[in-house]
Amino acid sequence: MDDVEKAILISFDESGALDAGLKSQAVNFCQQIKETPSICSLCIEKLCFCKLVQVQFWCLQTLQEVIRVRYGSMSLEEKNFIRKSVFSMVCLERIDDKVCSVLESPAFIKNKLAQVLVTLIYFEYPLIWSSVFVDFLPHLSKGTVVIDMFSRVLNALDDELICLDYPRTSEEVAIAARVKDAMRQQCVAQIVRAWYDIVSTYKNSDPEICTTVLDCMSRYIAWIDIGLIANDVFIPLLFEFILVDGLSEQLRGAAAGCVLAVVSKRMDAQSKLSLLKSLQITRVFGLISDDNDSELVSRVAALITGYAVEVLECSKRLDSQDAKSVSMELLDEVLPTVFYVMQNCEMDAAFSIVQFLSGYVATMKTLSPLQEKQMLHLGQILEVIRTQIRYDPIYRNNLDIVDKIGMEEEDRMAEFRKDLFVLLRSVGRVAPEVTQIFIRNSLTSAIASSSDRNVEEVEAALSLLYALGESMSDEAMKAGTGLLSELVTNLLSTRFPCHSNRLVALVYLETIARYMKFVQENTQYIPLVLAAFLDERGIHHPNIYVSRRATYLFMRVVKLLKSKLVPFIETILQNLQDVVARVTSMNFASKESAGSEDGAYIFEAIGLLIGMEDVPLGKQSDYLSSLLTPLCQQVEATLLNAKALSPEESPLKVANIQQIIVAINALSKGFSERLVTASRPAIGHMFKQTLDVLLQILVVFPKVEPLRTKVLSFIHRMVDTLGASVFPYLPKALEQLLAESEPKEMVDFLVLLNQLICKFSTLVQDILEEVFPAIAGRILSAIRKVADSSGPEANTEEIRELQELQKTLYTFLHVITTHDLSSVFLSPKSRGYLNSIMQLLLHTSCHHKDILTRKACVQIFIRLIKDWSASPFGEEKVPGFRSFMIETFATNCCLYSVLDKSFEFTDANTLILFGEIVLAQKVMYEKFGDDFLVHFVSKGFPSAHCPQNLAEQYCQKLKGSDMKALRSFYQLLIENLRLQQNGSHVFR
Amino acid sequence: MALPNQQTVDYPSFKLVIVGDGGTGKTTFVKRHLTGEFEKKYEPTIGVEVHPLDFFTNCGKIRFYCWDTAGQEKFGGLRDGYYIHGQCAIIMFDVTARLTYKNVPTWHRDLCRVCENIPIVLCGNKVDVKNRQVKAKQVTFHRKKNLQYYEISAKSNYNFEKPFLYLARKLAGDPNLHFVESPALAPPEVHIDLAAQQQHEAELQAAASQPLPDDDDDAFE
Repeated sequence: MDDVEKAILISFDESGALDAGLKSQAVNFCQQIKETPSICSLCIEKLCFCKLVQVQFWCLQTLQEVIRVRYGSMSLEEKNFIRKSVFSMVCLERIDDKVCSVLESPAFIKNKLAQVLVTLIYFEYPLIWSSVFVDFLPHLSKGTVVIDMFSRVLNALDDELICLDYPRTSEEVAIAARVKDAMRQQCVAQIVRAWYDIVSTYKNSDPEICTTVLDCMSRYIAWIDIGLIANDVFIPLLFEFILVDGLSEQLRGAAAGCVLAVVSKRMDAQSKLSLLKSLQITRVFGLISDDNDSELVSRVAALITGYAVEVLECSKRLDSQDAKSVSMELLDEVLPTVFYVMQNCEMDAAFSIVQFLSGYVATMKTLSPLQEKQMLHLGQILEVIRTQIRYDPIYRNNLDIVDKIGMEEEDRMAEFRKDLFVLLRSVGRVAPEVTQIFIRNSLTSAIASSSDRNVEEVEAALSLLYALGESMSDEAMKAGTGLLSELVTNLLSTRFPCHSNRLVALVYLETIARYMKFVQENTQYIPLVLAAFLDERGIHHPNIYVSRRATYLFMRVVKLLKSKLVPFIETILQNLQDVVARVTSMNFASKESAGSEDGAYIFEAIGLLIGMEDVPLGKQSDYLSSLLTPLCQQVEATLLNAKALSPEESPLKVANIQQIIVAINALSKGFSERLVTASRPAIGHMFKQTLDVLLQILVVFPKVEPLRTKVLSFIHRMVDTLGASVFPYLPKALEQLLAESEPKEMVDFLVLLNQLICKFSTLVQDILEEVFPAIAGRILSAIRKVADSSGPEANTEEIRELQELQKTLYTFLHVITTHDLSSVFLSPKSRGYLNSIMQLLLHTSCHHKDILTRKACVQIFIRLIKDWSASPFGEEKVPGFRSFMIETFATNCCLYSVLDKSFEFTDANTLILFGEIVLAQKVMYEKFGDDFLVHFVSKGFPSAHCPQNLAEQYCQKLKGSDMKALRSFYQLLIENLRLQQNGSHVFR
Repeated sequence: MALPNQQTVDYPSFKLVIVGDGGTGKTTFVKRHLTGEFEKKYEPTIGVEVHPLDFFTNCGKIRFYCWDTAGQEKFGGLRDGYYIHGQCAIIMFDVTARLTYKNVPTWHRDLCRVCENIPIVLCGNKVDVKNRQVKAKQVTFHRKKNLQYYEISAKSNYNFEKPFLYLARKLAGDPNLHFVESPALAPPEVHIDLAAQQQHEAELQAAASQPLPDDDDDAFE
């Protein structure tokens, strides 16, 4: 052993027993050797004489690296030498009269050798070394060692250069194309011939080498002349392999892989169809069994599904009647086996069941009526869907307790089902009756199934029914067409054995809710529906996920059916007593309930029921007070003792009150304004009392944000419900709410005021006048910060809140002006802020980055012009306003801001803003007359270098009555001015 | 077959090769196993660390000699020479870096050139990170090549044992083999984050199943 070999052995040492210093020395030594000029001949020499695999590997690795990196700078002589030596190795030829033993080494050495040869091919084929493949072929007769090596070289060529599964550079792609072209022209036919000879020769004596060759061949079929394989010599041989029982499974599978490659070959549809027909694929159907472990079965299954995909593709692409009928015939032939495979075999990853079946169903849309065979196929497709959407019983427990595995499985299934349900709907459209019968039978058999799989069967069957309902039109559902009424009756009257299971219980309730439109028309089923929701299948289900969802769905059901539920109110309330009591009872600990919104849907449902006018007044007030009284009492009790609350108790009580407010809020939704104000003021009185109590919360807990939010939304609700009779409560409420002036709270407050203004307009003038000065003072000083900040540092939470506040303020001002309340700005206490507000509006209307905000500001101005200038010659209502508008607003907003290049006429919102700006000019002219026009044309236009003729035209258009013409002219004018400016004067 | 025997053990041991792009977390992953970390042999000159990781199965103790080839890109080193005699492998990519997944086929090819027919696990690491670039359902390579795929988070120990269990079962030829004792793992570094993530997911899911409270009557249509 020489030093190089020793060094290689040491650096490859896996024992870890060697001294690190020594190893490092060895690695460095090897590295140095690599740098020597004679490295290639050294490697080749070692490959010939040394049998140590580490040494062989290192030499091949080095050789490959040297060729790859230094090919360009190698001498011709060296290249010739390498080429000759490597080729001798792969062909078992002598090098300097000695047979090199590399092919006796383990597979990884031979693979590495193949990689070296492929690296040479990369650089030299076909220009320099055109004979590499042709020269190789005669050596195959030496036996399986060389055949095996030949296959490794072809596989390596595919892996390293041709196959598209790996990321390739554009250079590599170009070289791959060059290699393929040359091979097609030069040697592919000979290679295929060689393959054929090998497999014919060795089929009995060495099935392993035949397998290797066929696996290799299947990689090449995609890009070689298909005629070389798809002929009456090769195809019969391949089928012989597949079908003969005595052969090895691997060989049979490899042959199936080759046929699949033939079937998948990209080619013209008409020739493809002839090819597919010629294969007589039915021959292999008999091999399919449900032996999942058999490699042969899975490869034949892949062949059959691949075949079916191609036939379907042909039928889509070909239009001739003849081709259609051939492809349909082939499909009919293959489909039963495809269905069997889908349900019983491990599927090939490349095959998408849904995509294939959807494609097949799509072909039926044009056929009518469907033939019996097709009906049968549709039934089988439904069966496939059912099998696919069914959970595996091994997850039953995980799904029931919703642990991580269960959650993952549920998510996966939900995602997976989406496509399958789309398929179900297509089948449902093509053959509604078949679909309904199938679902009915699924339900029946699911119920009868044994307990080790009934949960999954029932869940799947119900999910099908649910999915069917999703695709059904209202009319069809109301009419209960076909089997629908039978299906729903079954659904409602069947006691499923596995109702305690979370998934079954959930899908059961969802399905009932889905078919409510049918029940609406068939009221005899109402007691069954109510029972399902009210007993332990629904709201009283032991599983919290189910009971929670049931609560929501019940509310939805009540919303839809409420007028039909009047006779059942008493029963419903009795059944819900315990649920309601959890919120109304004095001593409930809020730990019990996970979320404060939990009970809300129950109260909403109850509110919907008892709020109906069909309920007699006496009953109604009894029901309502039985709920409101305990709830209010709880709040009052907490408020009374608030001061005495310990820090530990306090959060609990706060959460408690929160839940109560949410409940009351939900309850009130069922009561209309008409009922509580006009027809039954006594009911309204009860809500007013409640409002009184809840407003106290703001006094006692002024700083508790969640409570404040909840009370606020109750006030919103009461404004809607109580109408104008809420007024007496407003001053106190607003005062409390205004006590807090954080931006977020101010936003909420403005939103409430906006609601009031929109609902009551001028009726709230007094209230508004009272609060406006305080609001204006606070907000104007708060948002000053926004104006000062820009750039990335402005991206803080605080600034964002202030921007939100600013935006709400503009809405507020807009709402005020558009509801005839602009006089609020002029009240003595507000007057002081008027100038600041005007400046703010002006600045915003010219510069704000949000175009719609700018539009709102311009609209405010338009309104103010109308409100505050009685006639062109009358006395000024607001001193200074007129000159402000003419001298400042008109030039800045109507001229300079639109001249700016950032004002984009191509943007739709900007065009709307532009329309408002033009309207503002029109209104100014109407209200201020020539005062406006003269100033605008004589002061504004010249500063923008407006030519005289355009200015004159402008005056004409403005005086005319065609708004549209004015608008387009003004746009033209602005665009003209911009061109003239061309950046010389930037208006900013 | 030459096996590494830093400390010769009298129970079955296997050479496990871990490959994948730099930065995918191969080193972090093997270092989670504390005993292995304690006994590891580092060879900075050739840029490979060999960590002996012991696992306790119902059939007795087994050892994986994990060849963490980190840094080989920098050091030159033996490259695919490390794979020689590899008996099983893990290919690692980073779910937050798409390119590392694109390179998986190349790693697989280079590995199979040297180690034909060994059990291989594909691992998508860093699933604790919030903005993934490679979603679970985009991972399809393992199906084409018949590998096992696991999502892992080395930093939080999430699914740490899964790849080893799969490989142990394959090597033992016993699909029912299981671990009877957990190896000592470094405490999770992002425990809270992952927990928060899970909670976040749960909340999202709950939120998704929770319809909007009002005016959504259309949902029934």
